[in-house]
Amino acid sequence: MTEKSTEVLGRDLGLGLGLRNVHFEHILEHWPAVDWFEAISENFMDSGGRPRDVIRRVAERYPVVLHGVSLSVGSTDPLNLDYLARLKALAAEIQPAWVSDHLCWTGILGQNSHDLLPLPLTEEALDHVAARVDRVQDFLGRRLILENPSSYLTFSHSTVEEPAFLRALAERTGCGLLLDVNNVFVSAFNAGTDPQAYLDDFPFERVVQLHLAGHSHRGTHIIDTHDCPVRAEVWELFARAWEATDGAATLLEWDGDIPNFETCHAELLKARDFMDGPTHAAAPAPLAADGRDAVSTPVDFMSPTAMAAVRGDQT
Amino acid sequence: MNRAAPPLGQVQRWMHEALRAPGGDTDARLAEMIAPPGRIQALDALGIYQRSYYQRLLTCMREQFPALCRALGEQLFTDFAREYLREHPPESYTLYDLGRRFPGYLEASRPDRDAAEAEREVWIDFMVDLAAFERLLFTLFDMPGCEGQPLADASTPDAALRLQPAFALGAYRFPVAVYYHGVREEKSPDLPPLEPSHVALVRKDFLTRTVPIGPTQHTFLKILAEVGSVPRAMVDLCTRHGLDRAAVEHSWSEPGGVRERWIDAGFFVPA
Repeated sequence: MTEKSTEVLGRDLGLGLGLRNVHFEHILEHWPAVDWFEAISENFMDSGGRPRDVIRRVAERYPVVLHGVSLSVGSTDPLNLDYLARLKALAAEIQPAWVSDHLCWTGILGQNSHDLLPLPLTEEALDHVAARVDRVQDFLGRRLILENPSSYLTFSHSTVEEPAFLRALAERTGCGLLLDVNNVFVSAFNAGTDPQAYLDDFPFERVVQLHLAGHSHRGTHIIDTHDCPVRAEVWELFARAWEATDGAATLLEWDGDIPNFETCHAELLKARDFMDGPTHAAAPAPLAADGRDAVSTPVDFMSPTAMAAVRGDQT
Repeated sequence: MNRAAPPLGQVQRWMHEALRAPGGDTDARLAEMIAPPGRIQALDALGIYQRSYYQRLLTCMREQFPALCRALGEQLFTDFAREYLREHPPESYTLYDLGRRFPGYLEASRPDRDAAEAEREVWIDFMVDLAAFERLLFTLFDMPGCEGQPLADASTPDAALRLQPAFALGAYRFPVAVYYHGVREEKSPDLPPLEPSHVALVRKDFLTRTVPIGPTQHTFLKILAEVGSVPRAMVDLCTRHGLDRAAVEHSWSEPGGVRERWIDAGFFVPA
């Protein structure tokens, strides 16, 4: 693939943060010492305003990765070529280290749920997704990186475990993998399976990037909310994944109740404590305290800032 | 976890419908589709996706229409928005598109839509206008603009003044911009009385301004958007509306007048 040499270098990007609108001012003012940023592709690809300006300026100073939430590579709808063209144009301008999305589908019949929905993991789905990954990679002219999603249910007729599915997909298509260790924990907890067993079977040699995030523990289940610090059990999984991937680029996602930049950065830098293996005793994940409904798959969204940047003249 | 597999498309259609219209599945159907429970029952597992679907979209709707949400009250706004999402599920890959059809939906679904205009509920008119205003404001945030390029200044000849790309006009039956800014400033404004208002929206240095304008100014700017040139728009305005050319030109060019204020506000780029 045309970008492979960049990715090999980029795999060692270091510790990065999600580029979120609430941090724009801080980043542009202080140019903080973060190794790299990951931007949600859809928040920038159509922008003719401030988001596009910000990502241009950030990309001048930092490595940037584009991370999508709407490719819907698992959908049985036709691929959205307009979407792909816009993604390709953004990538041409920003020159990301790589472009990623999720092993999921987001909609069907021309509609979009704006959620990362699970696929039945079958041979049929593997054939379907592999063919689409090939088309996407051909269209974009670069390798696609796919992330394991968090999930709350498993389909009855699934016949392939997710690590094996991703391994086969990567072998068939040459795509890279983004291993989200929080998603591993969330999905395994909800399915009542062992996250370490998941990692036992994971094709680490295909991993380009790791994701870290916090989640909301509801007692009977866990929701992937990205709205709090990384839980101890997830740090344990990270320690193993970091070692197994020989230090893949690592990114912290924080998408709900986003604290100030320094807090996010400090949380990210905790990763250093786990780069020589799990050094902290794993504490049980606390139950969510406020009892509010948690929303799965947070989508970083910019309208609060959009509407804040408005001024009214009096006369 | 190894039953006769329904085709992928069939599975996706089932789950998609389950998200949009929860409660339609029998226990047998759920057991057929979802693997025996891990820690939670199949219905509860599906429920996480079902609740999140509407919560996520409703959160975005409240963020895109904050003043309308305030005007209607959060519960009523949520009821309207939920019905809107049922009738018009999102079709775009971007959530920026989510509220695009909402003003039209509110107008089309009003209970008095078949009544004579004089008999229609005024408060509904206000809500429709406010929704349209907020949608216009929202789109202005991210449309292509002219940041990084020079704006027109006082020395730019009239013939070289062009409306900049991040510019829009609105005409409403109520002073929606005043109400909107009252909400933003947390002044808890009352619903305004019926009173036509015109507003120009312009983005400069990534800051969107709402500039109140008069009806004649609105007409002038609308003509200018069509014909492109200030001198020609001025002639057209006077011809179409029987206005005195000298008076219009004076209002345009006097110190502190329309030309100066609009150039300061960033309405124009040089040709």
